[in-house]
Amino acid sequence: MMSEPFVNAKDVRLLARIAQLPLDPERESRLADLLSAWLPDANALSAKMAAPEFREVLPITLFAHPDHREEGQ
Amino acid sequence: MSTADDNDVLNLSLAAASRAVAIGEISPVDLVAAALRRLDEVNGELCAYIDVYAEQALQVARASESLIAAGHRLGALHGVPISLKDNIAVENQVTTAGSRILRDWRPAQDATVTQRLRSTGAIIVGKTNMHEFAWGGTSDNPHYGAVRNPWDSSRFPGGSSGGSGVAVATRTCFGALGTDTGGSVRLPSAINGIVGLRPTYGRVSNAGVIPLAWSMDTVGPMARTVEDCAILLQAVAGHDSRDPASASAAVQDYTADLNRGVKGLRIGVIPDYFFAHVQPQVGIAVQQAISLLTDAGATVVEVASRHVEGNISAQLTIEAAEPSTYHHEWLRQRPADYGDDVRLLLEAGELLLATQYLQAQRYRAVLRAEFVDALKRVDLFICPTLPFTATPVGDVLVEIEAGAPEDMLSAIMQFTGVPSLTGLPALSVPCGFDDHGLPIGMQLIGRPFDESLLLQVGAAYQAMTSFHLRRPGV
Repeated sequence: MMSEPFVNAKDVRLLARIAQLPLDPERESRLADLLSAWLPDANALSAKMAAPEFREVLPITLFAHPDHREEGQ
Repeated sequence: MSTADDNDVLNLSLAAASRAVAIGEISPVDLVAAALRRLDEVNGELCAYIDVYAEQALQVARASESLIAAGHRLGALHGVPISLKDNIAVENQVTTAGSRILRDWRPAQDATVTQRLRSTGAIIVGKTNMHEFAWGGTSDNPHYGAVRNPWDSSRFPGGSSGGSGVAVATRTCFGALGTDTGGSVRLPSAINGIVGLRPTYGRVSNAGVIPLAWSMDTVGPMARTVEDCAILLQAVAGHDSRDPASASAAVQDYTADLNRGVKGLRIGVIPDYFFAHVQPQVGIAVQQAISLLTDAGATVVEVASRHVEGNISAQLTIEAAEPSTYHHEWLRQRPADYGDDVRLLLEAGELLLATQYLQAQRYRAVLRAEFVDALKRVDLFICPTLPFTATPVGDVLVEIEAGAPEDMLSAIMQFTGVPSLTGLPALSVPCGFDDHGLPIGMQLIGRPFDESLLLQVGAAYQAMTSFHLRRPGV
């Protein structure tokens, strides 16, 4: 028996509507296949990072501190 | 058509060509003319360049020749032909990033790295082909042609800086700049049999470079020898107020330690990750390289990693979400102007959750802490640059283990992801060939802002081997 894909074309349509991203119907199934390959691993990583040992971990994201002199301070 | 004399000149390393120009032994005009003849000879088949600055390069070469004759040498790259990946801005020259969307874009200003190359006397001969917007590892470009591997033109050259890799391997220039987000300098370096360096994140300015993923993007040198990469890095490294992510850490002297050898150095390996899922010939070549380094006085330390699994997913999430943010408007207004593969990846990046992106960014902090801590016990890590050798152009699946085809994009990121996510520097060095005559590369990963040590080890390895001296038959 075939298992249900993690993401199907209908899910993609909904997500694209929320993102206001126009998509041709033929692209929905291709995106569903791609996201079905990616998202289980992304969710597993999210679950790992939700463990208590990582509670204090901050994301590595760029927060630029401009040169104060350039800002005239 | 290039001549026998051209071959002699073009086989020189960048360092040797630079020295020859400095003492008046070779004219920059002869160097550029030879490079352009070679470029003309190979580019039709290999599609390595999008744009060639033949007239401008010769004009600059004549000025360069006059300066040398008058006793003025601008710097270490004076009179040396160099190529740039076409996502790096050159003032008033079309800079496409391998896309149709930017095919008419002429930047008003050079990228910082372009300025710095020019200020040390480099002569830019052209802009190299690439994976569209750097979002992919094959350089199979739908707008400017698929870049082809000079060791076997039916195979891919890696990417996204595939054109730069081919340009260097085929001796159409003495060095090139690529950009590396998830591996885009190191992959084409390994696959084309050359050396490529991903610097520490922030070491080299990204100002004037079309971004892929802001939190991972770097610009890196590609050349045939480690010494040449060191010279190129020296020219472009350093703080830049135009780039908010630019680091202010002091710039090392990258050529000072090239002859120090490897005696006493501790090489870290993670056997159950870095050698667990590789084509046999790739694994053997890298193990043999490590053995050679231990014969020369280094020691191997096995390291366990709790967190390296998961790095591919984190890369895919970040590399999908950040480009889709940058491309938001074009993806809605001009979707048909993208190649099919890049459009699909950009669309996918729109559909990820913010929490998945941020968890991936938190994971990076954990992975970085683990590697930085391990690098207190070892001096560097060594692993394959990628787990397989070049596959046929157009393939989207690869067999690392016989009978088990897998997704190319995930497979190609397997080992390059650790430096990309952690911001650590990494050097790819040629370390062998498979039974088809296709190059194999090993990756050296080091401490933040310690590119010198990687270059020292890479140079020691090249002094003991000759893989980097072979040239493709094309």
